[in-house]
Amino acid sequence: MAPINWHSVFFLLFALITCGSAVAVVVSANIVRMAFYLVISLGAVAGLFFLAGAEFLGALQLMVYVGGTMVLLIFGVMLTARGPLVSMQTGGGQWVLATLVGVALLAVLLRTAFSVDAWWHGPETADQVVTAKDTTTPLGLALLGLRVDRPDPQQATAPQGVLSGYLLPFEIISVHLLVVLIGAAYLARAKKRVGKPTGENAAGGGGVSDE
Amino acid sequence: MMDLLTQPVGVAHYLVVGAILFASGVVCMAAKRNALGVLMGIELVLNGANLNFVAFGSSYLAPGGQSTIGLDGQLMAMFVIVLAAAEAAVALAIALCYYNSHASIDVDRANELKG
Amino acid sequence: MVLKDVLPILLATAWLLPLASFALIVFFGPRMGKAGRGAGLLATGTIITGFVLSATALVCWISEYPPQQPELHAAAQGDQGHQAAADPGSQGHGLPAEAAAEPHEADAEAAHPPGEAHAQPEPITYYWYSLGEFGSLQVAVSFYIDSLTIAMFCMVTLIASCIHVYSMGYMHEELEDVTDPLVTLSSGRAFTRRGRYYRFFQYLSLFCFSMLGLVIAGNIAMVFVFWELVGICSYLLIGFYIERKSASNAANKAFIVNRVGDFGMIIGLMAVWTGLGTFSFGDYQDQQDVEQPGIFSQVRMAREAAAEHGGLPVPQGMIELPTEAEIEQLALAAETPEKAEENIEAELDRRQRRGYWLLMIAGLGIFCGCVGKSAQFPLHVWLPDAMEGPTPVSALIHAATMVAAGVYLVGRFYPVFTPEVLLVIACVGCITLFMAATIAITATDIKRVLAYSTVSQLGYMMLALGVGGWVAGLFHLFTHAIFKALLFLCSGSVIHACHTNEMPQMGGLLKKMPWTAGTMLVGCLTISGAGIPLIVGLSGYYSKDYILAQALSFQQANPQFGWIFFYAAAIGAAITACYMFRMWYMTFVGPPRDEHVHQHAHESPKLMYVPLVILAFFAVVGGWNLWLPGMDLGIEPLLEQARPAVTAEGASIPAVTYPAEHISHTDHAIHYGATWIAFTAALIGFLFATVFYGVRKLDPEDARRTFAPIHHFLLNKWWFDELYWLVVVRPALLISGWIAAVDKRGIDWLADNSARVVAAVSRLDDWIDRTFVDALIDLIAAGTHAVGLKLRVVQTGNLRQYVMLIAVGTVALFVLISLYWNYAMAG
Repeated sequence: MAPINWHSVFFLLFALITCGSAVAVVVSANIVRMAFYLVISLGAVAGLFFLAGAEFLGALQLMVYVGGTMVLLIFGVMLTARGPLVSMQTGGGQWVLATLVGVALLAVLLRTAFSVDAWWHGPETADQVVTAKDTTTPLGLALLGLRVDRPDPQQATAPQGVLSGYLLPFEIISVHLLVVLIGAAYLARAKKRVGKPTGENAAGGGGVSDE
Repeated sequence: MMDLLTQPVGVAHYLVVGAILFASGVVCMAAKRNALGVLMGIELVLNGANLNFVAFGSSYLAPGGQSTIGLDGQLMAMFVIVLAAAEAAVALAIALCYYNSHASIDVDRANELKG
Repeated sequence: MVLKDVLPILLATAWLLPLASFALIVFFGPRMGKAGRGAGLLATGTIITGFVLSATALVCWISEYPPQQPELHAAAQGDQGHQAAADPGSQGHGLPAEAAAEPHEADAEAAHPPGEAHAQPEPITYYWYSLGEFGSLQVAVSFYIDSLTIAMFCMVTLIASCIHVYSMGYMHEELEDVTDPLVTLSSGRAFTRRGRYYRFFQYLSLFCFSMLGLVIAGNIAMVFVFWELVGICSYLLIGFYIERKSASNAANKAFIVNRVGDFGMIIGLMAVWTGLGTFSFGDYQDQQDVEQPGIFSQVRMAREAAAEHGGLPVPQGMIELPTEAEIEQLALAAETPEKAEENIEAELDRRQRRGYWLLMIAGLGIFCGCVGKSAQFPLHVWLPDAMEGPTPVSALIHAATMVAAGVYLVGRFYPVFTPEVLLVIACVGCITLFMAATIAITATDIKRVLAYSTVSQLGYMMLALGVGGWVAGLFHLFTHAIFKALLFLCSGSVIHACHTNEMPQMGGLLKKMPWTAGTMLVGCLTISGAGIPLIVGLSGYYSKDYILAQALSFQQANPQFGWIFFYAAAIGAAITACYMFRMWYMTFVGPPRDEHVHQHAHESPKLMYVPLVILAFFAVVGGWNLWLPGMDLGIEPLLEQARPAVTAEGASIPAVTYPAEHISHTDHAIHYGATWIAFTAALIGFLFATVFYGVRKLDPEDARRTFAPIHHFLLNKWWFDELYWLVVVRPALLISGWIAAVDKRGIDWLADNSARVVAAVSRLDDWIDRTFVDALIDLIAAGTHAVGLKLRVVQTGNLRQYVMLIAVGTVALFVLISLYWNYAMAG
């Protein structure tokens, strides 16, 4: 029996958690529970990131995604749950349809994933696993326009033969974030409510029930 | 199955996980009546994509220690994360607006664009 | 300045001045003085200037070519037997051949170089302006000037001047508003209108322009143009009192009857063009500046060729020569070479005869026009009705000039007429003179008498020209113009005084109107041919004498039928004297038949009777020659200068012989015989008139009753008007009625109903359009709408459904791509 590859074991662990939580998000009917499972899933994804050697990214994932975005979502849940917490259920037919679509999509993606033989093999020997490369500094430098991971222009894959940094996208994203900030603040400003939430709606499938 | 525990993991394994996340996210988007549920589906989708990016850019997973796209993968994933956050903020603002105007968070009621 | 440069300028100016006057009066007439008084002065001034220019041209001509009385030349040759040298009234001859035959040739050489005295002066052909070239046909404004032209110019301008002056007095009532008693309005009131003084002179100027243009014309096409122009002027002037139905009818009649004649003239023109290839009288330059022969040259060459080689005198252009192929065929058809030659000769003969027919048709056609214009039988019916116009018009146009245009054209075109055509001319003239004279005896309207007298005298001229008397006919033209104008103006004076035309209402005017009576007496004597036989006479004596002499000469040459012409002419002379003096006696002599008229009668103002005196003077001296050093100035010598060769030599065809004109002068038997017979005839006529109307020993009523049927026949003008009405006018009106019915019921019906059909078709089209085409379009639109409505269902607004669809689409896309993907495409 080959020695246990602990990398793979942890990968499997995190993978199962991720997938399980993702499915649970789909299946769950309670919005709060959905949020919880999502948090779990995203955290597990961060773990996967660490296993793949992208530690900065994993940290980023935890901070931004889990710590920021999910909190935002939960706040949203909180803000839109006036009155009795209603849970809306979709009809059975729609579930079938959605599942079919999802399965079809999954099939396509998996087929793609299985198509390339090279992807199935990790590094041949454990020795070949390089020492943990520090990715944070190169990432930061790349954001500033300096590609230290590919110093040799011959190895560049860009058509012009010159590998440029990510300075421009960095700046664009900055502006983008500013715009989003302003836009979201404007969109979510305090406005007059349109009457009390009635809760009854004959149109649309499924009834409303208290959950 | 035992191979999974002994053999090193390749890119494809990550891709499978990413695919599952992606598909669940799509189903969640399609099947949830709560607007925030839809948003959660979107997050799942984005995460699945991130996994793919990171997988391709990881030198741990590639044969020969040489990853397919190197640092670019992580960078792109980083950008996606940032943009997902921004998008989540705006989407939430929209959902709140919707909630304020319709007094309900049910997206099935949003059929004013019905032709 | 050479003659051929000066004369065209002088004559063209004289010709165009009346046109300028016409143009000015047309535009400014009403503004020329009170009611256009200035127009009269302008027109009269213009025509008097024209006369001065014509006289100047005459002086230029005679200084270059002094006219000679033919027998005077013979006397100068040293013929002591003749007292003719000092006798301007005797006859002579002008032929160099005759002179050479006389044993005085040596003296002739000494006295005059023969060529100079007897040579005909070369006519001046002046080409002014080309109107168009159609192939080789040149249509141009060109002049043909010889002594005949200049003499005509002088005569026309002189008489026109006298008449213009006379008209200024006669038409004075047109200066104010005119009340026309002869116009009946439907309301019964008298008709009053504005005066039209200036318009009268406008038309007179136009007429003078047209007549002078006709005289000066150098090609037959230009003659035709001015022919029509004088016809129009005649129409305008006859119908001057346009409100009178009788006047407008008469104008129509004149123009239409002239048109009938012009139809024949056009046929003649076409024959001339086809055969001779040109319209020009004299030689002309064609487009390549090569000298081409004109009409007269071609005819002369044909005659010379015929005299040399025998055969018919036909110009080459008129013979359609057989082609090579036809000659070959004839040659092959014969058995022997001699027969072949015979056949070819016969064919050429036939062709030549056909060409001769064409020449005859040309001559007859042109003569047809003259029949219409000069009121010969059978187209004479318009002239008596033309008296509806004012009297000066009758004098100028229908006595002196326009009707003379026909005779002038016959004289001008003389070389082209074949002897057959000349015979026809003579017959027509003969019939005309006799018929008109008989009608004139019974006429009671003073102007009618003069009108028929004109017709008769024109018949005389045609007769003279027809029997070979070229100078005789044209001499009579000139003298007739003068005395007929005189007679008409006198009658106008009488009408002006009596306010009536009817002679039964006149009488006893001798004391009241001495000048008029005197001049009219001169006129009557002239027309009768009064004079002392063989010694001296008035102008009419000479011209009538020549005519009768030529007729007698013709009779001698053609005893079987020539006597008709002579006796008709002689009897006609008797009748002429009779009716002329009847007219004079009825008007001036005896007790007045209508007291009212007699009381109001008065002599005309000076403006009117001075021209009468002038014309009377010319009527007396017209036949005499003015003996100037080196020349004889007179009408006859001038005409001799323009004599065409054919009359000098005479002509003959198998049946008819045309004696040369000089024979009638040299042969004393003929000459004296004609003179005495003419004198006797005139005397008989005069005596008849005097007995019936002068001294009134016999009662004309009695004679009328005795010859009642004849009188009735003559009084109704030989029923010609009724005959034409029956044969020509009524069928024309009938046919026009049919055609009008066809037009109204047939063509209008067709047009209306096709319009209705079109409307119905358009309604049908509208229905089809609405039912099918519109429905189709509507169907398509409805279909599109239905599809749109169906598709609308897709847009549910349901977010989740959209998401699902996105996913489904993505999957499908991936599947499709993966099916067709191969790594080669990735490149």
